[in-house]
Amino acid sequence: MGTVKYIELTGIRKQFGGVHALRGVDLAVAQGEVVALVGHNGAGKSVLVQIMAGVFPPSAGEMRVSGAAVALNSPLDARRHGVETIFQTLALADNLDAPANFFLGRELRTRFGFLDQARMRREAAAALTALNPQFTDIERPVRQMSGGQRQAIAIARAIHFDVKLLIMDEPTAALGPHETAQVGALIERLKAKGIGILLVSHDVRDVLRLADRIVVMKGGEVVGTRVARETNEDEVVDLIIRGRRLAAPEPA
Amino acid sequence: MSADHTAGTAARASSAAFQIDGRGVVSPIWLVLAVIIIAAALISDRFLSQANLTAVLQQGVITGLVALGMTIVLIGGQFDLSTGTTVMMAAVVSLLMGPSTPAGVALAIIVPLLLGALVGLVNGWLVYRAGANSIVATIGMQFFLLGATLALVGGQHVRSENMHAVFKGLALSRPLGVPVPVFLFVALVVLLAVMMRATRLGRHIYAIGGDAEAARRAGIDVVRTGTLTFVLAGVLAALAGVIIAAMVGVIDPTAIARYEFPALTAAVLGGTSLAGGIGRPADTAAAILIVSIITNVMTILNYPFSHQLMVQGLVLAAAVAFYSQVREGR
Repeated sequence: MGTVKYIELTGIRKQFGGVHALRGVDLAVAQGEVVALVGHNGAGKSVLVQIMAGVFPPSAGEMRVSGAAVALNSPLDARRHGVETIFQTLALADNLDAPANFFLGRELRTRFGFLDQARMRREAAAALTALNPQFTDIERPVRQMSGGQRQAIAIARAIHFDVKLLIMDEPTAALGPHETAQVGALIERLKAKGIGILLVSHDVRDVLRLADRIVVMKGGEVVGTRVARETNEDEVVDLIIRGRRLAAPEPA
Repeated sequence: MSADHTAGTAARASSAAFQIDGRGVVSPIWLVLAVIIIAAALISDRFLSQANLTAVLQQGVITGLVALGMTIVLIGGQFDLSTGTTVMMAAVVSLLMGPSTPAGVALAIIVPLLLGALVGLVNGWLVYRAGANSIVATIGMQFFLLGATLALVGGQHVRSENMHAVFKGLALSRPLGVPVPVFLFVALVVLLAVMMRATRLGRHIYAIGGDAEAARRAGIDVVRTGTLTFVLAGVLAALAGVIIAAMVGVIDPTAIARYEFPALTAAVLGGTSLAGGIGRPADTAAAILIVSIITNVMTILNYPFSHQLMVQGLVLAAAVAFYSQVREGR
């Protein structure tokens, strides 16, 4: 993989009080590369995702975007650097409708400074139906919508703007087989467009199919990195369960 | 698309009956208001006289201003119980500025409004930055303001001699037969309605009230947006205080009308959700009118104050039950 890494994390640590959630994690994702992050609950995947999304800063370590050191102090910072995240919780405001959630935090305005409701509605409708043709009646509070529709809003808004690295935190956990397949197809499309993807998942089989590289975390550390084509389910599961006692991590 | 859209809207309006979110279909509160106006007119022929209608409007303005601020804070997902005391503090400070000269009038308006903003800033900081529970934090602010105001005037009445005509006019002059505060109130309702519905700030206030963490992850500055809701509430309460000062010219700081609870009542009656994220300033204004009219008609009919309170309590309880039903039914 000779491409320039779009995002590079070095020695990322995170402590919550006395708890070491991350103990020096290195991770890099290139443009057009799909990297899977796997591990048990509590392995530190979610904390790492939130640091990359700007939800909270690391206690120590360095982050580089396109080679330049950056501090992602807020979700807005992360977005400015082209890092978009689809959280497992989806992070939708339940009381607002789909267009409002789609443009939340980057609302379009008319030249008089008011919300451009008509344009937002149009663009959100186009983006949502492109993702899910059955998605109609978008002007309801999203609390009235199905899980699949809510997921579509979160995905659509993450890829609509100038995304360079897309972080997907358990994107298929709440989906049926058909919708899971759609997410897989979407990942292929985005990859082809040169977007880097960090795919956080429990599902090793899914990950083997979709990812270029698989990074395994355990106890707040990266315990192994494998090229997806050159490994198998047993090896990855073994890494997830036993960590570095059996399989030493690759040299950085 | 547009035909579809219209059909969709119509279907939604009839199936869900009411859309009580910050947008969309008209709230049922306006229907209630219309019914109450008709009923009041039928009950008493004095109700529709210009003098009485003006009295109804004027009666609602002070609580109305506080209720508008309360509505914005509630939509943002918090409570502000300090606004009643802010009204009193602002009224006292306004008179202390000595509004008998042009410079005094300017100070008597500007200083209380700035103090109201400051109170809101501190409330906002406590709640959104320090993470304090808003009910407790703003009750604390209420005590602090009460103590500070009493200390300021040594517990004595505050009086302003020879109030300047312009200052008095703020409360008492009646262009086109309508008192100035009523114009002010209507203008503020329109302004806040536009702000909440058509600006980024309004949208973000709904978002933080709906899900503060989701709003934060969408890049919204929750602390700044939320603090602004408290600042708005503080300024509106202070404006109410200035109007009271101009109206009466003498304030007994120990006799505080507890504006925050009637204001909270009006906001809830207007459909503002106590859980945040839902409500509209104009609907709160309609609710204020409903409460004013009920009080007015009961006064005309010589019902004692005690009965008026009981009716207000029943109306509030019924409204809360109604909104819970509608919202859970969806």
